[in-house]
Amino acid sequence: MTSLHEPSVVRLHAVCKSFAGRAVVDHLSFAVRRGEVFALLGPNGAGKTTTVRMLVGIIRPDEGRLEATLDGSDTSVPPPHSTGYLPEDRGLYREIPVLRTLVYFGMLRGLERREAKKRAHEWLERMSLLDRKDERLDALSKGNQQRVQLIAAVIHRPTLAILDEPFSGLDPLSQEFFLDLVRELKEAGTTILLSAHQMDLVERAADRVLLMNRGREILSGSVGELHARLDDRPRLRLMMETGSDPGILRTDPDVEELAVSGDEVGITLRAGVAVRPFLARAVAVASIRGVATEAPRLHEVFVRAVREDDARAEGRVA
Amino acid sequence: MSHTRQALVVAGWEFRRYFRWKDQLMGLGLFLLIGFVWVGAAMVAGARGKVITVALDGVELTAPPEGRIRFVPAPADAAERAEALRQGDVRGILTRRPDGTFDLLVEKDPRYRAELVALLGESVRRERLAATGMTAEGLEQILSPAPLEVRFTNPATGRRGTPEKIAAGVFIGILLLAVFTSMAYLMTGITGEKQLRVTESVVSAISPQAWIDGKVFGITGFALASVGGSIVGGLLVALGARIATGFTLPAAAVRPGVVLALSVFTVLGLLLWNSFFAAVASTMDDPNTSSRSSLLMLPALPVVMSLAVLRDPDSLVSRILALCPLTSAPALPMRLVLSDPGLPEIGASVALLLGAIWLMRRMAGRIFEVGMLLYGKEPTLREIGRWAADRLPSTPR
Repeated sequence: MTSLHEPSVVRLHAVCKSFAGRAVVDHLSFAVRRGEVFALLGPNGAGKTTTVRMLVGIIRPDEGRLEATLDGSDTSVPPPHSTGYLPEDRGLYREIPVLRTLVYFGMLRGLERREAKKRAHEWLERMSLLDRKDERLDALSKGNQQRVQLIAAVIHRPTLAILDEPFSGLDPLSQEFFLDLVRELKEAGTTILLSAHQMDLVERAADRVLLMNRGREILSGSVGELHARLDDRPRLRLMMETGSDPGILRTDPDVEELAVSGDEVGITLRAGVAVRPFLARAVAVASIRGVATEAPRLHEVFVRAVREDDARAEGRVA
Repeated sequence: MSHTRQALVVAGWEFRRYFRWKDQLMGLGLFLLIGFVWVGAAMVAGARGKVITVALDGVELTAPPEGRIRFVPAPADAAERAEALRQGDVRGILTRRPDGTFDLLVEKDPRYRAELVALLGESVRRERLAATGMTAEGLEQILSPAPLEVRFTNPATGRRGTPEKIAAGVFIGILLLAVFTSMAYLMTGITGEKQLRVTESVVSAISPQAWIDGKVFGITGFALASVGGSIVGGLLVALGARIATGFTLPAAAVRPGVVLALSVFTVLGLLLWNSFFAAVASTMDDPNTSSRSSLLMLPALPVVMSLAVLRDPDSLVSRILALCPLTSAPALPMRLVLSDPGLPEIGASVALLLGAIWLMRRMAGRIFEVGMLLYGKEPTLREIGRWAADRLPSTPR
């Protein structure tokens, strides 16, 4: 976990961007601290990718200000040699051998050819792809192509890595692999800004998150803070005896939500309710063979916050 | 990293992306094969073919020693004549009828007919001249044109004729080859990058202007290398033709100053048009379906216009074409081969062309910056014009 006192490397001040008269990013402000993993979350169309594109200087904001302090220099956008970028809309040259492509992208980010080649070898070895360095990119599986794309984004060892939807299109094993890489980069001192909507992965990787909806911030803070701020309701998972009917628990006054999945029942109690008295009542009326408590998942925090924001927005419109 | 270094990295990448020694050597080999087949065919066509024997009956003809036809007296007997034709001893039997017309008896279509008719015509003319009492020399004197000798103050530079026009035409051909090679590779390369979604990864690392500059340099270099292979092949064929047939290149086409000017104007012209191609290609999604593909043929227009220089290299139109940046790349070198534009004209033409390249490069960079990030819908020409005129500074790098 990074310290709260770490200086910020990227700052957005009331940044706005519209396309065809529609506000895509609306007075968005945040700062990314040095050494942390900062996640931008939000549903499709929330403005995450537009924000990221403004951060790397591909598009300019209509209003507001961007600032970056990286490697001792202050700039309006992070300088390319200090920044790695994995775009959401990504691709590489399919007909070119893997090693040549990586050397090219390393050189575009300021490396000398020899150094770019050395680092490409190191990364390919790390990714178990060294024996395929001379193959065309399109000879690799999709997962391996994604690995090559990630290498191309960070081959120059950037101070700041901006990863837009790094987990999308990956199978679970590759997602775990990418998650480990994000952690490794962080341990190596790289500040990481990622945008994603795979909440379970973000929950495991991010130090702080900012939840966006309709181009605006609706929540931000550490994962723990978000849980506490938005949802402090106790959650239980009950394992029922086969043939037992959990429906009777719906009638308990402390139960707010109940979801049955086979022999398991997920229960959310009302805020502020004590768990022990409820369990005593439940054991008395139903055949329960096991109990587990559950922390609220970021996914639920996300869904609830976005729904509330949408409801507020619709109310405003109405 | 400086703009120049970024552009050079891209230029090197683009050049190596397409340049293959194997392809170049194969192209050169094919060129040489075609060239030597052509020279060989010319030599065979120029060589004397098989002797054709024609039997004469009542006709007095003399065969020139350099021709294919030989004349022999015809057998007296009709059966012997038929046998001689059947056996191939003679290819035809030429008889003069009482009314003065000629009769040629053959087994197969006489391929030597034109040659025979020419000889007969000559013979008949001599007969008719003799009938009028006029000598052949007298007739020739009457029909000969007024004698006029053209003298050049500087024969080395003044004498321009068909060989020079051919040289100028070859230059235009080379230029067109380079232009269309560049166009094809820029168009497929840029639209391919858009389709492969490479754009964002690159423009997050370097400025769009550095990217387009590098592309234009790299593809120009590739086109020149490709055309260079053809030129080397052409020179080797010309060398072969010289040894085989005595063919020589026109003096005006091999003067060092002209060669230098041809090279400079080819490079500058390519840079100008390739910037245009790159900008147009960046606004296209799919070259197979885009209506914008026809715009890529525009550079053919100045080349066709500059053909006017061939007709009269010193006319006012030719001088204007040689100065106008859109047409000077083909027109001024043609004037150099066919006439003598002075140094001031050459200097002004280069300066105007350089200015146009700078302007085109800046406009192309602005179009490229927006066009490369557009997917799905192609912009209208009005939108493209607005981007080109955009005075906003480029995204800082």
